[in-house]
Amino acid sequence: MADGFKNCTKLDKASWKPASEAEAKAKALGYEVRRSKVEGSCYEVYGVKEGKLYELFYSPEDLSLKHTIAK
Amino acid sequence: MVLLIEQAPDARGAPDRTPAERTVPRTIAVWDLPLRLWHWALAAGVLAAWFTPSVYDGLHRVLGYTVLGLLAFRLVWGFRGSRYSRFRMVGVRLRASPRYLWNLRRGISGRYIGLNPAGTLMLVALLVSLAVSTITGAMSVTVTFFGVWWVEDAHHYSSDAVIVLVVLHVAGVVLMGILQRENLIRAMITGRKRIRGHL
Repeated sequence: MADGFKNCTKLDKASWKPASEAEAKAKALGYEVRRSKVEGSCYEVYGVKEGKLYELFYSPEDLSLKHTIAK
Repeated sequence: MVLLIEQAPDARGAPDRTPAERTVPRTIAVWDLPLRLWHWALAAGVLAAWFTPSVYDGLHRVLGYTVLGLLAFRLVWGFRGSRYSRFRMVGVRLRASPRYLWNLRRGISGRYIGLNPAGTLMLVALLVSLAVSTITGAMSVTVTFFGVWWVEDAHHYSSDAVIVLVVLHVAGVVLMGILQRENLIRAMITGRKRIRGHL
């Protein structure tokens, strides 16, 4: 991905929090979550809000929102 | 007055035309201009899209819609274009393609003015994979299909297939150019091919 977002944490993968928690955080922000996947060292959550498409990048270390991309 | 002078017979009695010009032309028009423009626009668009693969990239999306438009044009041109642009022979050539490819191992390439059976197979394979790639690409940025796994997978696999086919296409054109001793890349620029007695 040319201008995607990849670097969220340096923490070892074994100590990452589960992706479901990143999805839950996106839901709490009002996004309809479609799916999530690992992108680099980030959780990438696909969300829809008010008919618009977003990709949210969460740190697997502390589940802080690192980056939001509107598509 | 000027016209009169130009029309006057040659003082030396030489014919108006040189003998070379009066002989039967040794090339034939095969690929019409819209088809050639389509071919090179498609090549440029697909290559550029391959190097801008990010879904966040506005250019990638514009290229995708452009390729989709070019595919639509080709569909129309397959019925409205000149003889060798039409799809009329596609079915016949496709059925002949397995035997044709098998015979190629002995360097037998036959004699075709338009697409040979291998070329026809490549045309169909490229058009189908490009259609899947562009349509799933457009789908992946709609609310309905955003983040739907099979749409993303189909887009990735079909786009990879396009590039594999492009490499095979270029290799096939080079190989056929050697077998038939004809610059087929130039033929797609000028639109003309040599007329051969036999091969």
